Amino acid sequence: MHTEEFVNSPINELPDIETLEFTPLPPLYRKLNLLTNLCLFLFLLLATVALQWQSWMTLPLVISVNMDTIRFGLSLAAVVIPGYLYLADKRKGYALRQHDLSYRSGLIFISVTTQPVLRIQHVELKRGPIERKAGLASLQVFSAGGAMHTFAIPGLPLAKAKQIRRFILEHKDIAQHD
Amino acid sequence: MTEPHDEQQLTIQQNQWQKLPLIAIVYFSFNLLRQIVGQFIYLIPALLIGYSTIIESLPEAIAGALILLGVVLGSSWLKFHFYRFRLSHDHIQIRSGVLSKKHLDLPFHRIHNVKLEQPLFYRPGNHTCVVLDTAGSSKDEAKIFALPMQQALSLKSAIVHFASQPAASNGAPENEAADPSVPVTEPQEVELNRRSLSDLVIHGVTSNRIWIFLGGLAPFFDNIFEWLSELLLSSGMDLKALLDPSQQSLWQYSMTLLTLVFMAMLLLTIFSVLGAIINFYGYRLSRLNDRYIRRSGLFTRHEVSMRRSRLQMLVRRQDWLDRLIGRINLKLEQFNANIEHGQMMMLNNKIIVPSIKADECDALLQDIYPENRLSEIDYQPVDRRFLWRHCLFALLLHAGIALLLAPEAMATLITGLSLLLVSTLIYLRWKRWGFAIDNNFIYIRKGLFGVDYYSFALSKIQQTRFAQSIWMKPYNLCSVTLILACGGQSIPFIRCQQGRQIINIGLFEVEAHKASWM
Repeated sequence: MHTEEFVNSPINELPDIETLEFTPLPPLYRKLNLLTNLCLFLFLLLATVALQWQSWMTLPLVISVNMDTIRFGLSLAAVVIPGYLYLADKRKGYALRQHDLSYRSGLIFISVTTQPVLRIQHVELKRGPIERKAGLASLQVFSAGGAMHTFAIPGLPLAKAKQIRRFILEHKDIAQHD
Repeated sequence: MTEPHDEQQLTIQQNQWQKLPLIAIVYFSFNLLRQIVGQFIYLIPALLIGYSTIIESLPEAIAGALILLGVVLGSSWLKFHFYRFRLSHDHIQIRSGVLSKKHLDLPFHRIHNVKLEQPLFYRPGNHTCVVLDTAGSSKDEAKIFALPMQQALSLKSAIVHFASQPAASNGAPENEAADPSVPVTEPQEVELNRRSLSDLVIHGVTSNRIWIFLGGLAPFFDNIFEWLSELLLSSGMDLKALLDPSQQSLWQYSMTLLTLVFMAMLLLTIFSVLGAIINFYGYRLSRLNDRYIRRSGLFTRHEVSMRRSRLQMLVRRQDWLDRLIGRINLKLEQFNANIEHGQMMMLNNKIIVPSIKADECDALLQDIYPENRLSEIDYQPVDRRFLWRHCLFALLLHAGIALLLAPEAMATLITGLSLLLVSTLIYLRWKRWGFAIDNNFIYIRKGLFGVDYYSFALSKIQQTRFAQSIWMKPYNLCSVTLILACGGQSIPFIRCQQGRQIINIGLFEVEAHKASWM
């Protein structure tokens, strides 16, 4: 999987994070996300209709008068928010190098998090019901930096996620330290 | 109950299950009582209200209290009875638990911190509680609830000696650490710093920041009050009438107010000074080989020790008052496994050297990291767009408020002044921001009125983050966050090349040299 020797390049030729080549997440992931988000807004819109037509309780005046405005707002949000998230999902990607794992995310605020394999405490695969159905998995990476700085690469094809996990677990840096 | 030879021997019996000294029952009882009080603290008001009922049924109340005491003592005795520990040359085993039994087997090499705690009631018999911290969760933490001081010290030196062996074979400069001829006899400890009572009073006063700030303003309170009330009066609000329903004159009122504020401030300052004395009384910082040891405490004497390799970050803090009188608070932060356990744990986990002078600080830094250049390195400023961006935010916010208050000329003026003040603060903040990097360390400077320096070894980096917004991109700017085991440090608004260079060098240092972070 990797060579025994560490290529110790001189300092003026440092491996550069600028040259990282990111693999985008599979299109299925962003489509599923889009669908889930749209369903959520559809549900909210249906809920407003249900609220108006039900007869068990009387709505507060503020809500019943502004029902149309609320629906308009929700419809607008249903276009903008899932759209934004869809575009943001498109930008997500990961890059695996011999000694570290990077994850890029963000549309307006772009961030690249890099985790040296040597400093990984443990990795976890997480799969929700939708992810299980779609054959996807999230790879969670924990370092000693604490819960605040845990990052997850979502929407990986299961085989790929398992492959990365194996790469990390079998990495000689990790194996040595256990 | 205890084996009598326990007390006389200096070294601990190896490979033999041992009981704790009897005094441990007091420790267990005290802890249990504290827990019970902590659980039922919300009942105290009810008890106070029901005071008369309690007095009426005094015998029952006393009986209840006695039963409680009996239960506490009984369960403490059970805990004491079922607690056994055994030491071998490289690990400690602890068996405990009354109903659910626990068996802990802890190899010495997993212990990364040995703390000695001496509550007040352990002083007469010179006992101490030994806390063995591991890098894992708090569940793995082991406590030997009571040991005679001499035994505790020899156990500690045995663990410390064991732990320092691999470090010495890694080529660490401390050759004494590997010397096998110093197992139980204490190797010489070098005293690095000592804090006198007056230092602690200074620390108490300076760490009481907000009140001191108000205290500085106190002579002007009257003027400020006058000015404010005039201002409000001209915008249609009569402060005097509002604050003065009983028609007393304003000066009387403000004098009363002033006195009250002063009293409160004095009280808080006294509390702060008392807090500093309770925490840091008899402060001694010393070094044993590569291990730094802090001892302090008025009632419960705490001992925190940290190996140099466990040190994650140096923090040199100076608030404006500290700057004025030339004092520095130096903090040695280590791995923070108990970050979710709140402030108390964190306080006990790091070594703070309170209110030292600049030369003492330099001497300590020299001792800890001889190559560290925290005090003399040239700090590069962050880009001035940091200033523009934050000022723009403040401007938008103020413009919004001004629009809402549009007709009032005076309100607009106040908004303008507030904007000016905020912008000045942002400017000061920007001026303080600085960063530097050399072959071994990263240095960050920040602050507002005070100035704080942070420095950590490149090899301590756990994770890096390079962040850039679409508005930063055209100007080739970025923000960099470096995550350590004791939390993250960010440097905002620096050139992309600089940011990438920091990350590249950091990653290279970690990945190529594979230095351990603890």
